[in-house]
Amino acid sequence: MTTFIQLFVSGISVGLIYGLVAVGFVLIYKSSQIFNFAQGEMVMFGAFLMWTFLQPFGLPPLLAIILVLALVGVAGYSLERFPLRPMIGQPILATIMVTMGIGVFLKGLSLLIWSENIGIKFPTVIENRTFTILNIPFSNVTIGSFFFVLILVLLLSIFFNYSRMGLHMRAAAENHQLAQSMGIRVTKAIAQSWAIAAIVSTIGGFTLGYIRGIDFGLTEVGLIAISSALVGGLESFKGAILGGVIMGVAQTLTGGYIGYGLKEVVPFIIMVLVLIYKPYGLFGLVRIERV
Amino acid sequence: MRRVSGVFDKSYVQDMMIFRTKYYVGGIILLFLFFMIFPLFGSDFWLAFISTTAVTVIALQGLNILSGYCGQISIGHTAFMAVGAYTSTILAAQFGLPFWICMPIGGFGAGVVGLLFGLPSLRVKGYYLALTTIAAQYLIIYMIKTPFPEITGGAIALNVPEVTLGGFTLTTETHFYYLIMFMLIIMTFIAKSLMRGHYGRSFIAIRDNDIAAEAMGISLYKYKLLAFFMGCFYAGIAGSVWAAYARVISPDDFTLMNSIWYMGMMIIGGLGSTLGPFFGAIFIGMLREICVVCGPWITSIIPQLGAQISASLVEMTFGITIILFLVFEPRGISHRWEILKESYRLWPFSY
Repeated sequence: MTTFIQLFVSGISVGLIYGLVAVGFVLIYKSSQIFNFAQGEMVMFGAFLMWTFLQPFGLPPLLAIILVLALVGVAGYSLERFPLRPMIGQPILATIMVTMGIGVFLKGLSLLIWSENIGIKFPTVIENRTFTILNIPFSNVTIGSFFFVLILVLLLSIFFNYSRMGLHMRAAAENHQLAQSMGIRVTKAIAQSWAIAAIVSTIGGFTLGYIRGIDFGLTEVGLIAISSALVGGLESFKGAILGGVIMGVAQTLTGGYIGYGLKEVVPFIIMVLVLIYKPYGLFGLVRIERV
Repeated sequence: MRRVSGVFDKSYVQDMMIFRTKYYVGGIILLFLFFMIFPLFGSDFWLAFISTTAVTVIALQGLNILSGYCGQISIGHTAFMAVGAYTSTILAAQFGLPFWICMPIGGFGAGVVGLLFGLPSLRVKGYYLALTTIAAQYLIIYMIKTPFPEITGGAIALNVPEVTLGGFTLTTETHFYYLIMFMLIIMTFIAKSLMRGHYGRSFIAIRDNDIAAEAMGISLYKYKLLAFFMGCFYAGIAGSVWAAYARVISPDDFTLMNSIWYMGMMIIGGLGSTLGPFFGAIFIGMLREICVVCGPWITSIIPQLGAQISASLVEMTFGITIILFLVFEPRGISHRWEILKESYRLWPFSY
């Protein structure tokens, strides 16, 4: 029983990070109806970039974080101008392949720069301590990341529901032409959402890299995040978080009880099952198609 | 489609003919003869390059049927290749069946697995379907790696028994070259013929608007699944030919990355045209070779760039190439080729 609860708790903490990355994904989908298959690469790239600013450059943590987030945000903003603006109105396959192309490029670039940095870790910020509540051990990093992600998600949903910029993005997501006729600059909204998504996934990469170390395997997070966004329904932040938690718990439980091989694929099994029985996810909008 | 001056199509059959003009026939025969005598003077490097590219083209023809004609996006194509490769290899190794039986069964097995993963296509499409195929990629590779390692060789590798055709054992590069070229011609011809007829037109109708196609009496249920079966059958054939050629297969030959490469080749070559897979596979194959050659050269100039320069260079150029093609020529090289042909047919009176 204790093992179960332990696995469960660590599953939730990993799942929240999946959820965070999935939120970045939902963000882009909500504002531009584009599936960002480069999410995992963005997570990995962000983590490596953060490490580079912290360790070889030796900047103080706060400055490094601000610099990296600004850098990534600008990069995400400018992504809209070059490969993505020509994709407006193109078939779905084109947008899929463009984001995959971005992902492959980022992967190649990180391989070029950081291929010799194996087994690197972020410097310790918080002392890792474990305490027990009702005989169940909790680590303070887990609890910390839990609240961190929760606050971030809360902020994001306030942003999307009340701020002008967030409302513009949602309007742009609904219908490009309609939004444009209301005086919203769709390209700007899309660029902003890519910038925010890049920042969010970098934060996810930082958190995940802090827990499990930085390597090229971080890209796997992207696909798991995409499947958790799908499970939660693509339009909803709480769905993305919940989907991420489901994936995380399912992964740690299968990893703990069955084996490592199944742990890798269990998110995809869940996703296929959800797609077959409830194609629009747990909280997704059901779209009715007409000719 | 425009013809050379003086050639007129009087019926639909004539319009759809493969060998329409005598120059075209002549060109095809010359090309055929060139590739038949190529092993006499070509080096092993080029033979291997052509064989690998040809296997890729066979798989891409299947992807072309599935994604180019029927519009069902598949980013798990190499997994279906893996099904074909492992099915035929296991049949040959465990039961000692000859290659010419194993190969169609491998294709058939891949087709059936493809049907299974095509089932969600009846309810979801677009992004959702693409993700289902990514899931297929992971699940199939998992099935190969984990549950039955004593049969499938697990995560390491599986040796493929020697291939004999009618008492003749294929050993050298040249033998495989001829086998693969034979398969390539047959499979391309079948794909072209299928896509010219009833099936192809139904697929195109589904691709352009599936609800409208259904309203016109095309059974989505039947044709979408058929497209999945055909596409994955091609992948299975390509996989079993690849297994015979490579002599050793492992799950690492069939990763998600390879599937993305295949889809990229389709985009670069041009979706929905029989020539597209050829252009895409040759273009990307050449690009990869150039990057592999250039990698050490760049390292010799800038030694700080690390040991993985070739791999990273390949990936970076591939990513950029896909993006550039999607932005500037989404219909691929085959569209450019059509434009080129039209311009020289009309020359010097381009109006």
